[in-house]
Amino acid sequence: MNIELVNVWYRYSRVEDWALRGISISFRSGEVIYIDGPNGSGKTTLLKIASLIYRPLQGSVLVDGNNFWNLDEDSKTLIRRRVMYVHDRPILLRGTVLDNVAYGLHIRGVDRGSAFDTSMSILSVLGIDSLAHTPIQRLSTGQAQLVAIARALAIKPEILFLDEPFSNLDREKRLALISTLNQFRARGMGIVFSSHNADVMELGKHRRVVLGGGTIIDAYEVV
Amino acid sequence: MSEVFDTIVRSIIVSGIATALASLWSIPLTYLLVLRNRRAMVMEVIIETLVGIPTVLLGLLLYMLLSSSGPLGFLNLLYTPQAMIIGESILITPLIISVSYRSIRDMAKLYHELALSIGADRFQRIRLIIGQSLPGVVAACITGFSRAIGELGIAMMIGGNIRGYTRVMTTAIALEVAKGNFEEAITLGIALLAITISISIAIKLLSRVRIT
Repeated sequence: MNIELVNVWYRYSRVEDWALRGISISFRSGEVIYIDGPNGSGKTTLLKIASLIYRPLQGSVLVDGNNFWNLDEDSKTLIRRRVMYVHDRPILLRGTVLDNVAYGLHIRGVDRGSAFDTSMSILSVLGIDSLAHTPIQRLSTGQAQLVAIARALAIKPEILFLDEPFSNLDREKRLALISTLNQFRARGMGIVFSSHNADVMELGKHRRVVLGGGTIIDAYEVV
Repeated sequence: MSEVFDTIVRSIIVSGIATALASLWSIPLTYLLVLRNRRAMVMEVIIETLVGIPTVLLGLLLYMLLSSSGPLGFLNLLYTPQAMIIGESILITPLIISVSYRSIRDMAKLYHELALSIGADRFQRIRLIIGQSLPGVVAACITGFSRAIGELGIAMMIGGNIRGYTRVMTTAIALEVAKGNFEEAITLGIALLAITISISIAIKLLSRVRIT
Protein backbone atom coordinates (compact mmCIF):
# COMPACT_ATOMS: atom_id res chain seq x y z
CA MET A 1 0.00 0.00 0.00
CA ASN A 2 1.22 3.46 -0.85
CA ILE A 3 -0.35 6.67 0.45
CA GLU A 4 1.03 9.74 -1.23
CA LEU A 5 0.29 13.30 -0.16
CA VAL A 6 0.87 15.78 -2.98
CA ASN A 7 1.21 19.47 -2.15
CA VAL A 8 -1.23 19.19 0.75
CA TRP A 9 -2.51 22.29 2.54
CA TYR A 10 -4.76 22.23 5.57
CA ARG A 11 -6.26 24.86 7.80
CA TYR A 12 -8.70 24.37 10.69
CA SER A 13 -11.99 26.25 10.54
CA ARG A 14 -11.95 29.68 12.18
CA VAL A 15 -8.12 29.60 12.32
CA GLU A 16 -6.20 31.91 10.06
CA ASP A 17 -2.85 30.12 9.98
CA TRP A 18 -2.30 27.07 7.84
CA ALA A 19 -1.56 23.93 9.88
CA LEU A 20 0.08 22.32 6.85
CA ARG A 21 1.62 24.18 3.93
CA GLY A 22 2.26 22.36 0.70
CA ILE A 23 3.42 19.05 2.15
CA SER A 24 4.38 16.23 -0.20
CA ILE A 25 5.31 12.91 1.33
CA SER A 26 4.56 9.22 0.84
CA PHE A 27 3.88 6.40 3.30
CA ARG A 28 4.34 2.74 2.38
CA SER A 29 3.70 -0.67 3.92
CA GLY A 30 6.74 -2.17 5.61
CA GLU A 31 8.31 1.22 6.24
CA VAL A 32 8.76 3.01 9.56
CA ILE A 33 8.51 6.79 9.58
CA TYR A 34 9.08 8.91 12.62
CA ILE A 35 7.41 12.32 12.42
CA ASP A 36 9.33 14.75 14.58
CA GLY A 37 8.80 18.41 15.35
CA PRO A 38 7.78 20.84 18.07
CA ASN A 39 4.21 21.28 19.34
CA GLY A 40 2.02 22.96 16.74
CA SER A 41 4.27 21.97 13.85
CA GLY A 42 1.46 19.98 12.18
CA LYS A 43 2.32 16.40 13.18
CA THR A 44 -1.19 15.37 14.23
CA THR A 45 -2.78 17.09 11.22
CA LEU A 46 -0.37 15.34 8.88
CA LEU A 47 -1.11 11.95 10.47
CA LYS A 48 -4.88 12.51 10.23
CA ILE A 49 -4.69 13.50 6.58
CA ALA A 50 -2.40 10.58 5.76
CA SER A 51 -4.72 8.17 7.60
CA LEU A 52 -7.63 9.43 5.47
CA ILE A 53 -9.59 11.11 8.27
CA TYR A 54 -9.12 14.77 7.32
CA ARG A 55 -9.62 15.98 3.80
CA PRO A 56 -6.97 18.48 2.71
CA LEU A 57 -8.22 21.89 1.58
CA GLN A 58 -5.70 21.91 -1.24
CA GLY A 59 -3.59 19.18 -2.81
CA SER A 60 -4.39 15.50 -3.18
CA VAL A 61 -4.09 12.22 -1.35
CA LEU A 62 -3.28 9.32 -3.66
CA VAL A 63 -3.79 5.76 -2.45
CA ASP A 64 -2.03 3.33 -4.76
CA GLY A 65 -2.30 6.00 -7.42
CA ASN A 66 -6.03 6.75 -6.94
CA ASN A 67 -7.20 10.14 -5.70
CA PHE A 68 -8.83 9.02 -2.43
CA TRP A 69 -11.21 11.94 -1.98
CA ASN A 70 -12.66 11.49 -5.48
CA LEU A 71 -13.69 7.89 -4.77
CA ASP A 72 -17.22 6.80 -3.87
CA GLU A 73 -18.16 6.18 -0.23
CA ASP A 74 -17.89 2.37 -0.39
CA SER A 75 -14.43 2.49 -1.96
CA LYS A 76 -13.29 4.96 0.67
CA THR A 77 -14.49 2.66 3.46
CA LEU A 78 -12.68 -0.32 1.95
CA ILE A 79 -9.44 1.67 1.71
CA ARG A 80 -9.84 3.09 5.21
CA ARG A 81 -10.04 -0.47 6.51
CA ARG A 82 -6.45 -1.00 5.40
CA VAL A 83 -5.06 1.80 7.55
CA MET A 84 -5.51 2.77 11.17
CA TYR A 85 -4.90 5.91 13.16
CA VAL A 86 -4.52 5.88 16.94
CA HIS A 87 -5.21 9.18 18.70
CA ASP A 88 -2.71 10.63 21.15
CA ARG A 89 -5.53 10.76 23.71
CA PRO A 90 -7.09 7.33 23.29
CA ILE A 91 -10.79 7.23 22.49
CA LEU A 92 -12.42 4.14 23.91
CA LEU A 93 -15.94 2.81 23.66
CA ARG A 94 -18.15 2.01 26.62
CA GLY A 95 -17.67 -1.59 27.68
CA THR A 96 -14.71 -3.79 28.50
CA VAL A 97 -11.17 -3.83 27.14
CA LEU A 98 -12.05 -6.92 25.08
CA ASP A 99 -15.13 -5.21 23.57
CA ASN A 100 -12.90 -2.35 22.50
CA VAL A 101 -10.13 -4.43 20.99
CA ALA A 102 -12.62 -6.62 19.12
CA TYR A 103 -14.66 -3.68 17.79
CA GLY A 104 -12.63 -3.17 14.60
CA LEU A 105 -12.99 -6.87 13.81
CA HIS A 106 -16.74 -6.86 14.50
CA ILE A 107 -17.38 -4.10 11.98
CA ARG A 108 -15.37 -6.06 9.43
CA GLY A 109 -17.79 -8.93 9.83
CA VAL A 110 -15.56 -11.21 11.92
CA ASP A 111 -17.70 -13.42 14.16
CA ARG A 112 -17.71 -12.72 17.88
CA GLY A 113 -15.69 -15.79 18.92
CA SER A 114 -12.90 -15.27 16.40
CA ALA A 115 -12.80 -11.54 17.12
CA PHE A 116 -12.39 -12.20 20.83
CA ASP A 117 -9.71 -14.87 20.21
CA THR A 118 -7.69 -12.51 18.01
CA SER A 119 -8.14 -9.69 20.51
CA MET A 120 -6.97 -11.88 23.39
CA SER A 121 -3.82 -12.85 21.51
CA ILE A 122 -3.00 -9.17 20.81
CA LEU A 123 -3.62 -8.27 24.45
CA SER A 124 -1.37 -11.13 25.45
CA VAL A 125 1.44 -9.93 23.14
CA LEU A 126 1.20 -6.48 24.72
CA GLY A 127 1.16 -8.01 28.20
CA ILE A 128 -2.26 -6.67 29.18
CA ASP A 129 -4.40 -9.79 28.73
CA SER A 130 -5.23 -9.68 32.45
CA LEU A 131 -7.22 -6.50 31.71
CA ALA A 132 -9.42 -8.16 29.06
CA HIS A 133 -12.63 -8.06 31.08
CA THR A 134 -11.93 -4.77 32.84
CA PRO A 135 -14.42 -1.96 32.17
CA ILE A 136 -12.63 0.93 30.50
CA GLN A 137 -13.54 3.29 33.35
CA ARG A 138 -11.05 1.46 35.53
CA LEU A 139 -8.06 1.86 33.20
CA SER A 140 -5.17 4.23 33.74
CA THR A 141 -4.34 6.56 30.85
CA GLY A 142 -1.35 4.40 29.93
CA GLN A 143 -3.45 1.25 29.92
CA ALA A 144 -6.11 2.99 27.84
CA GLN A 145 -3.43 3.96 25.35
CA LEU A 146 -2.26 0.35 25.07
CA VAL A 147 -5.86 -0.81 24.59
CA ALA A 148 -6.32 1.68 21.73
CA ILE A 149 -3.10 0.42 20.15
CA ALA A 150 -4.19 -3.20 20.67
CA ARG A 151 -7.48 -2.38 18.91
CA ALA A 152 -5.49 -1.02 15.98
CA LEU A 153 -3.11 -4.00 15.83
CA ALA A 154 -6.01 -6.47 15.99
CA ILE A 155 -7.17 -5.43 12.53
CA LYS A 156 -3.62 -5.77 11.14
CA PRO A 157 -3.60 -2.56 9.10
CA GLU A 158 -1.20 -2.22 6.21
CA ILE A 159 -0.10 1.13 7.58
CA LEU A 160 -0.52 2.07 11.23
CA PHE A 161 -0.46 5.73 12.23
CA LEU A 162 0.33 6.35 15.89
CA ASP A 163 0.10 9.81 17.41
CA GLU A 164 2.38 10.08 20.44
CA PRO A 165 1.97 6.37 21.28
CA PHE A 166 4.54 6.33 24.07
CA SER A 167 3.55 9.49 25.92
CA ASN A 168 1.71 7.82 28.82
CA LEU A 169 3.72 4.61 29.05
CA ASP A 170 6.47 3.76 31.49
CA ARG A 171 9.79 2.55 30.03
CA GLU A 172 8.95 -1.13 30.45
CA LYS A 173 5.65 -0.76 28.60
CA ARG A 174 7.31 1.42 25.94
CA LEU A 175 9.91 -1.20 25.20
CA ALA A 176 7.26 -3.94 25.13
CA LEU A 177 5.24 -1.90 22.66
CA ILE A 178 8.29 -1.18 20.49
CA SER A 179 9.12 -4.89 20.46
CA THR A 180 5.53 -5.69 19.38
CA LEU A 181 5.61 -3.01 16.69
CA ASN A 182 8.88 -4.47 15.39
CA GLN A 183 7.19 -7.87 15.08
CA PHE A 184 4.37 -6.37 13.03
CA ARG A 185 6.82 -4.38 10.97
CA ALA A 186 8.70 -7.61 10.14
CA ARG A 187 5.39 -8.93 8.77
CA GLY A 188 5.13 -5.96 6.41
CA MET A 189 3.11 -3.42 8.36
CA GLY A 190 4.02 0.21 7.77
CA ILE A 191 4.31 2.28 10.94
CA VAL A 192 4.13 6.05 11.05
CA PHE A 193 4.34 7.74 14.40
CA SER A 194 5.03 10.98 16.14
CA SER A 195 6.82 10.99 19.46
CA HIS A 196 8.89 13.02 21.83
CA ASN A 197 10.49 9.92 23.26
CA ALA A 198 14.10 8.88 22.82
CA ASP A 199 13.22 5.15 22.94
CA VAL A 200 12.09 5.36 19.31
CA MET A 201 15.67 4.51 18.35
CA GLU A 202 14.82 0.97 19.45
CA LEU A 203 12.63 0.73 16.36
CA GLY A 204 15.77 0.34 14.27
CA LYS A 205 16.00 1.57 10.71
CA HIS A 206 13.47 4.26 9.96
CA ARG A 207 12.90 7.47 8.06
CA ARG A 208 12.75 10.61 10.16
CA VAL A 209 10.70 13.52 8.90
CA VAL A 210 11.05 16.79 10.77
CA LEU A 211 8.17 19.26 10.62
CA GLY A 212 8.26 22.95 11.45
CA GLY A 213 5.56 25.55 10.88
CA GLY A 214 3.47 23.13 8.81
CA THR A 215 6.22 22.22 6.34
CA ILE A 216 8.85 19.51 6.10
CA ILE A 217 12.11 21.06 7.11
CA ASP A 218 14.24 17.90 7.07
CA ALA A 219 13.96 14.23 6.18
CA TYR A 220 16.60 11.54 6.45
CA GLU A 221 17.19 7.85 7.00
CA VAL A 222 18.23 6.60 10.45
CA VAL A 223 19.93 3.22 10.64
CA MET B 1 -53.12 10.65 52.71
CA SER B 2 -54.46 8.62 49.80
CA GLU B 3 -55.30 11.87 48.02
CA VAL B 4 -51.68 12.98 48.43
CA PHE B 5 -50.54 9.63 47.06
CA ASP B 6 -52.93 9.94 44.09
CA THR B 7 -51.60 13.41 43.37
CA ILE B 8 -48.00 12.15 43.43
CA VAL B 9 -48.83 9.23 41.12
CA ARG B 10 -50.77 11.51 38.77
CA SER B 11 -47.81 13.93 38.63
CA ILE B 12 -45.43 11.12 37.73
CA ILE B 13 -47.78 9.70 35.08
CA VAL B 14 -48.53 13.07 33.44
CA SER B 15 -44.86 14.12 33.43
CA GLY B 16 -43.70 10.66 32.36
CA ILE B 17 -46.05 10.56 29.35
CA ALA B 18 -45.15 14.16 28.47
CA THR B 19 -41.45 13.26 28.60
CA ALA B 20 -41.96 10.14 26.48
CA LEU B 21 -43.93 12.15 23.92
CA ALA B 22 -41.38 14.96 23.81
CA SER B 23 -38.51 12.46 23.50
CA LEU B 24 -40.27 10.82 20.58
CA TRP B 25 -39.74 13.85 18.37
CA SER B 26 -36.88 15.63 20.16
CA ILE B 27 -34.27 12.86 20.03
CA PRO B 28 -34.56 12.00 16.31
CA LEU B 29 -34.64 15.72 15.53
CA THR B 30 -31.47 16.28 17.57
CA TYR B 31 -29.61 13.46 15.82
CA LEU B 32 -30.72 14.92 12.51
CA LEU B 33 -29.47 18.38 13.53
CA VAL B 34 -26.09 17.06 14.64
CA LEU B 35 -25.51 14.62 11.80
CA ARG B 36 -26.67 17.06 9.12
CA ASN B 37 -24.64 19.80 10.81
CA ARG B 38 -26.23 22.61 8.83
CA ARG B 39 -26.74 26.06 10.33
CA ALA B 40 -25.76 24.52 13.66
CA MET B 41 -25.12 27.86 15.36
CA VAL B 42 -28.49 29.32 14.30
CA MET B 43 -30.27 26.22 15.56
CA GLU B 44 -28.38 26.37 18.87
CA VAL B 45 -29.45 29.99 19.42
CA ILE B 46 -33.11 29.26 18.56
CA ILE B 47 -33.30 26.18 20.78
CA GLU B 48 -31.58 27.87 23.73
CA THR B 49 -33.94 30.82 23.45
CA LEU B 50 -36.95 28.50 23.51
CA VAL B 51 -35.59 26.75 26.63
CA GLY B 52 -36.11 29.97 28.55
CA ILE B 53 -39.68 30.61 27.39
CA PRO B 54 -41.83 31.52 30.44
CA THR B 55 -44.22 28.68 31.24
CA VAL B 56 -47.08 31.09 31.89
CA LEU B 57 -46.68 32.49 28.38
CA LEU B 58 -46.81 29.00 26.91
CA GLY B 59 -49.76 28.24 29.23
CA LEU B 60 -51.57 31.33 27.98
CA LEU B 61 -50.99 30.41 24.32
CA LEU B 62 -52.24 26.88 24.91
CA TYR B 63 -55.22 28.18 26.87
CA MET B 64 -56.16 30.42 23.93
CA LEU B 65 -55.80 27.49 21.55
CA LEU B 66 -57.74 24.99 23.66
CA SER B 67 -60.46 27.20 25.17
CA SER B 68 -63.97 26.70 23.79
CA SER B 69 -63.67 29.81 21.60
CA GLY B 70 -60.15 28.89 20.45
CA PRO B 71 -59.23 27.14 17.18
CA LEU B 72 -58.79 23.79 18.96
CA GLY B 73 -61.72 24.23 21.32
CA PHE B 74 -63.72 21.51 19.55
CA LEU B 75 -61.27 18.95 20.97
CA ASN B 76 -62.58 19.64 24.50
CA LEU B 77 -59.11 19.20 25.95
CA LEU B 78 -58.99 22.18 28.27
CA TYR B 79 -58.75 21.20 31.95
CA THR B 80 -57.88 17.59 31.17
CA PRO B 81 -54.73 15.58 31.93
CA GLN B 82 -54.27 15.22 28.15
CA ALA B 83 -53.98 19.00 27.81
CA MET B 84 -51.37 19.04 30.59
CA ILE B 85 -49.43 16.28 28.84
CA ILE B 86 -49.48 18.20 25.54
CA GLY B 87 -48.46 21.44 27.26
CA GLU B 88 -45.65 19.88 29.24
CA SER B 89 -44.33 17.94 26.25
CA ILE B 90 -44.16 21.19 24.24
CA LEU B 91 -42.51 22.96 27.17
CA ILE B 92 -39.72 20.41 27.60
CA THR B 93 -39.04 19.82 23.91
CA PRO B 94 -36.45 22.64 23.59
CA LEU B 95 -34.85 21.55 26.88
CA ILE B 96 -34.44 17.92 25.76
CA ILE B 97 -33.11 19.05 22.37
CA SER B 98 -30.70 21.53 23.95
CA VAL B 99 -29.26 19.13 26.53
CA SER B 100 -29.06 16.14 24.19
CA TYR B 101 -27.71 18.31 21.35
CA ARG B 102 -24.61 19.18 23.35
CA SER B 103 -24.04 15.58 24.35
CA ILE B 104 -24.63 14.16 20.86
CA ARG B 105 -22.55 16.90 19.20
CA ASP B 106 -19.55 16.23 21.47
CA MET B 107 -19.86 12.49 21.05
CA ALA B 108 -20.33 12.79 17.30
CA LYS B 109 -17.17 14.85 16.97
CA LEU B 110 -15.15 12.41 19.04
CA TYR B 111 -16.49 9.15 17.73
CA HIS B 112 -16.83 10.20 14.12
CA GLU B 113 -13.05 10.43 13.91
CA LEU B 114 -12.64 7.11 15.68
CA ALA B 115 -15.22 5.50 13.40
CA LEU B 116 -13.45 6.81 10.31
CA SER B 117 -10.06 5.67 11.54
CA ILE B 118 -11.32 2.21 12.40
CA GLY B 119 -12.96 1.77 8.99
CA ALA B 120 -16.65 1.96 9.88
CA ASP B 121 -19.04 2.51 6.98
CA ARG B 122 -21.68 5.26 7.06
CA PHE B 123 -24.29 3.11 8.83
CA GLN B 124 -21.76 1.80 11.37
CA ARG B 125 -20.58 5.35 12.07
CA ILE B 126 -24.12 6.52 12.85
CA ARG B 127 -24.74 3.43 14.97
CA LEU B 128 -21.54 4.04 16.90
CA ILE B 129 -22.40 7.68 17.57
CA ILE B 130 -25.94 6.79 18.68
CA GLY B 131 -24.66 4.02 20.94
CA GLN B 132 -22.01 6.16 22.59
CA SER B 133 -24.28 9.19 23.06
CA LEU B 134 -27.14 7.20 24.57
CA PRO B 135 -26.33 7.96 28.24
CA GLY B 136 -26.32 11.69 27.44
CA VAL B 137 -29.65 11.35 25.64
CA VAL B 138 -31.22 9.47 28.54
CA ALA B 139 -29.88 12.14 30.90
CA ALA B 140 -31.51 14.80 28.69
CA CYS B 141 -34.86 12.99 28.90
CA ILE B 142 -34.56 12.76 32.68
CA THR B 143 -33.79 16.48 32.82
CA GLY B 144 -36.97 17.02 30.78
CA PHE B 145 -38.98 14.89 33.18
CA SER B 146 -37.54 16.83 36.10
CA ARG B 147 -38.64 20.11 34.48
CA ALA B 148 -42.10 18.75 33.66
CA ILE B 149 -42.81 17.43 37.14
CA GLY B 150 -41.79 20.70 38.77
CA GLU B 151 -43.77 22.88 36.34
CA LEU B 152 -46.65 24.97 37.70
CA GLY B 153 -47.81 27.54 35.09
CA ILE B 154 -49.09 25.17 32.41
CA ALA B 155 -50.48 22.67 34.91
CA MET B 156 -52.49 25.43 36.57
CA MET B 157 -53.66 27.27 33.44
CA ILE B 158 -54.68 24.39 31.20
CA GLY B 159 -55.04 21.66 33.83
CA GLY B 160 -57.18 23.73 36.13
CA ASN B 161 -56.09 21.95 39.34
CA ILE B 162 -59.28 19.87 39.46
CA ARG B 163 -59.29 17.65 42.53
CA GLY B 164 -58.87 13.95 41.70
CA TYR B 165 -58.50 14.71 37.99
CA THR B 166 -55.87 17.26 37.02
CA ARG B 167 -54.38 18.08 40.40
CA VAL B 168 -50.62 17.45 40.43
CA MET B 169 -47.99 18.09 43.08
CA THR B 170 -47.11 21.65 42.07
CA THR B 171 -50.71 22.84 41.75
CA ALA B 172 -51.64 21.06 44.99
CA ILE B 173 -48.76 22.75 46.84
CA ALA B 174 -49.84 26.15 45.50
CA LEU B 175 -53.43 25.49 46.60
CA GLU B 176 -52.53 24.18 50.06
CA VAL B 177 -50.28 27.20 50.71
CA ALA B 178 -53.11 29.52 49.62
CA LYS B 179 -55.42 27.71 52.04
CA GLY B 180 -52.88 27.83 54.85
CA ASN B 181 -52.51 24.01 54.99
CA PHE B 182 -48.76 24.07 55.30
CA GLU B 183 -48.52 20.48 56.59
CA GLU B 184 -49.92 18.99 53.36
CA ALA B 185 -47.95 21.47 51.28
CA ILE B 186 -44.75 20.41 53.04
CA THR B 187 -45.53 16.69 52.56
CA LEU B 188 -46.02 17.25 48.86
CA GLY B 189 -42.97 19.50 48.74
CA ILE B 190 -40.82 16.79 50.32
CA ALA B 191 -42.17 14.24 47.84
CA LEU B 192 -41.39 16.57 44.93
CA LEU B 193 -37.93 17.23 46.32
CA ALA B 194 -37.27 13.49 46.79
CA ILE B 195 -38.30 12.80 43.19
CA THR B 196 -36.12 15.59 41.76
CA ILE B 197 -33.13 14.56 43.93
CA SER B 198 -33.53 10.96 42.74
CA ILE B 199 -33.58 12.28 39.18
CA SER B 200 -30.40 14.30 39.77
CA ILE B 201 -28.65 11.21 41.12
CA ALA B 202 -29.81 9.23 38.08
CA ILE B 203 -28.42 11.94 35.77
CA LYS B 204 -25.08 11.92 37.60
CA LEU B 205 -24.81 8.15 37.28
CA LEU B 206 -25.77 8.18 33.62
CA SER B 207 -23.38 11.02 32.81
CA ARG B 208 -20.36 9.10 34.04
CA VAL B 209 -19.25 8.08 30.57
CA ARG B 210 -15.57 7.60 30.17
CA ILE B 211 -13.88 9.58 27.43
CA THR B 212 -10.16 9.26 27.84
